[in-house]
Amino acid sequence: MPPPATTNLGYTPPDGGWGWAVVLASFISIGFSYAFPKSLTVYFKEIQEYFGVSYSEIAWVSSVMLATMYAAGPISSVLVNRYGSRPVVMVGGLILGVGMILASLGTSIIHLYLCVGIIGGFGLAFNLQPALTIIGTYFQAKRPLANGLAMTGSPVVLFTLAPLNQFLFDSFGWRGSFLILGAIVLNCCVAGSLMRPVNKMAVPKPKAEPAEVNGAEDAAAEALRTEDNPKSQSCVHRFIDFSLFKHRGFLIYLVGNVVMFFGFFAPVVFLAPYAKHQGIDEYSAAFLLSIFALADMFIRPATGFIGNTKWIRPKIQYFFAFAVSYNGVCHLLCPLLPGYAGLVVYAVFFGFAFGMLSALLFETLMDLVGAKRFSTAVGLCTIIECGPVLLGPPMSGALVDIFGDYKYMYYTCGVFMLVPGLFFFIMHYYNYRKVEEEKHRAAVEMRTAEDRVHLNIDQKDKSEDVMEK
Amino acid sequence: MSASYTHLSCQLLLLLMVCRHVNTKNTTVITEPPVETSGPNTPPVAPLTPLQTGQKSVVLTGENHTEKVEVVNPVTLNLECAWTGNNKRLPNITGYWTKDGKTIETSYSNIQLQNGRYYLRREFSIMNEEDLGTYSCIFDPKAKVDFILAAPYLGEVRDKPIVSYVGDSVVMICKMDEKKPKPLSWNWYKQNGTNKVKIEVDSPGHRYKITKDEKKAKLVVHNLTESDSGLYYCGAVYGIGTSVGYLQLRVITYFEPLKPFIGILVEVLVLVAVILIYEKTGSKKDDQSGAEGNPDQNTNQLHGENAAADGRSSTRQRKV
Repeated sequence: MPPPATTNLGYTPPDGGWGWAVVLASFISIGFSYAFPKSLTVYFKEIQEYFGVSYSEIAWVSSVMLATMYAAGPISSVLVNRYGSRPVVMVGGLILGVGMILASLGTSIIHLYLCVGIIGGFGLAFNLQPALTIIGTYFQAKRPLANGLAMTGSPVVLFTLAPLNQFLFDSFGWRGSFLILGAIVLNCCVAGSLMRPVNKMAVPKPKAEPAEVNGAEDAAAEALRTEDNPKSQSCVHRFIDFSLFKHRGFLIYLVGNVVMFFGFFAPVVFLAPYAKHQGIDEYSAAFLLSIFALADMFIRPATGFIGNTKWIRPKIQYFFAFAVSYNGVCHLLCPLLPGYAGLVVYAVFFGFAFGMLSALLFETLMDLVGAKRFSTAVGLCTIIECGPVLLGPPMSGALVDIFGDYKYMYYTCGVFMLVPGLFFFIMHYYNYRKVEEEKHRAAVEMRTAEDRVHLNIDQKDKSEDVMEK
Repeated sequence: MSASYTHLSCQLLLLLMVCRHVNTKNTTVITEPPVETSGPNTPPVAPLTPLQTGQKSVVLTGENHTEKVEVVNPVTLNLECAWTGNNKRLPNITGYWTKDGKTIETSYSNIQLQNGRYYLRREFSIMNEEDLGTYSCIFDPKAKVDFILAAPYLGEVRDKPIVSYVGDSVVMICKMDEKKPKPLSWNWYKQNGTNKVKIEVDSPGHRYKITKDEKKAKLVVHNLTESDSGLYYCGAVYGIGTSVGYLQLRVITYFEPLKPFIGILVEVLVLVAVILIYEKTGSKKDDQSGAEGNPDQNTNQLHGENAAADGRSSTRQRKV
């Protein structure tokens, strides 16, 4: 009987204990990474008047921050591979804090692009990647749940930062607010200090882990590639592991995600303007966003929990494909829903869809490439996804401007999400079959190798017995 | 040609103003047709433009109604109230006008029921800012229509104070809505004690800078000091008067945000220290117990291995 493929990590992850503190730390880091650029929009109007620039010039601050956060992914990955998560997150928190403090002394809009956009973006990148990576080192059996809980950080931090930013702005103006925000983001250093490197020497708990629960994919793949490991390890430690581009699962994930991200963020950005376009007043339109955020907040841990169940976990890629397709269907149906009630229904369902997708986004990547190569994989993914993430909302805005109607934008976003969803279903069906075949082959090879070893031992025993006689 | 069309549409617009809902707030603007300097048929710009007349009618079905009227230039305004009456339907009632609550003595009149309605009409001459205010037509005993006459209101003035820092500069903006008529000019005032002091650009120190374009006025104050805090007024000047919006400025020193900043910094340092120290002491305990436990583990393992070896050797012996 082949040994159960509990881990390909070389140790058994604790799946609990200090792991939950690490989940809290990741919650904070991921929350700041995603929510911070969005929450700065509160200050834009006053900064725009102060520097006398147009709105699009000030909106670039957020875009530069987001772009740098995604583009600095590979650098973050290399550092995490080399030094582990903790130092990188603490340095990231420091960089972000220093960036915001320098920004509060800014004298021109370029100054803000540099301090908030580029320096801040680096700080956020150094928070995001390590936070995602360390969950993979602490959790195996409960990983979807841990990922779901950690990703909930994004809506929760956004929900907290939005009114806090408004309060800071009313009390201190934009300069004082940036100074205080610089201190608040230093809490990422606290999160970093919680990210204790996992104890690889710990005695594993005597729990019978069923083999199917764990990442079926990476176990078989690792079993096949044991000879390549020493070589690729040294590459991973120094450069980006480009051999990932030969990994079938990674390619499927990458191609699907690049298409999907074109239509991912635009509907969120245009939800309130679409409502106002239909004649709904500003407060009700803003309330739609709150409904969306609440639905998002509650579905993420729920998705993590569902993804952890023994029925879903082995086929979690299908769950992800379902989430992507569900997003697409939501957008396609949105223009058909009439009035404010229709928009509320859409906001609830879209909130669920968005949260489901976000909770599973990195869990599926971990499932495909394994925890060891996850850091590099996520770095490569973010830098490639940088393009669609940045181009998506302006392209959708252009669609709205050309047609003067929002429904074409929703149809386009719906298509951009439904097609990858179906692509994922088909490709992962094919991929799961291939993985089963490879696992079967590996198992057969191991069995014959073990039989051979046993045969040799018995023969040696027999010959020894004969000799003793 | 365009001038005459706008003239016609203006008159049509005025005559078609009839409201039926109770307590709806409608704002209508009475303007004279724009005097354009291009085109072949424009009249010569006379120093005293002839006074325009305007008409405002309201049908009152309940007991109360408020109507906002925007006045841009001096105008002779005909206000008309038509009341549908109450249950009693008396053939004769009295009605009168008030301005800002004060009864206009000469306005008492007896009103006959005409076509099912009681009509009260009066002509008012709105010449300057004092003539603006609230004019009410009152049907005895209770029915009332308020006409609030004012210059066009400023849009979107920030109601919370603007915060800025000593030594920094601040930009204050007043905007008039796109749909509303353009003011003739803009003025800025600062509250000094109980009076408004007009801000001049060439005041000593060159600290103020005023930028005006048609719909927007911007006041920039450089080198702020704490005495610059207070109320600022921006006024949009129209023929009839000035429409005023106010902004409050608060100038603070850098020490104010520094206090929460240092507070949060201390909190972060304390938490990081606590977490790292807890981890160090935790691992020291592990090392100590590990040193005691490890020999046990090692012996266990050795036992296990011995047992396996013994097992094998015993089986071998048993085989033999």
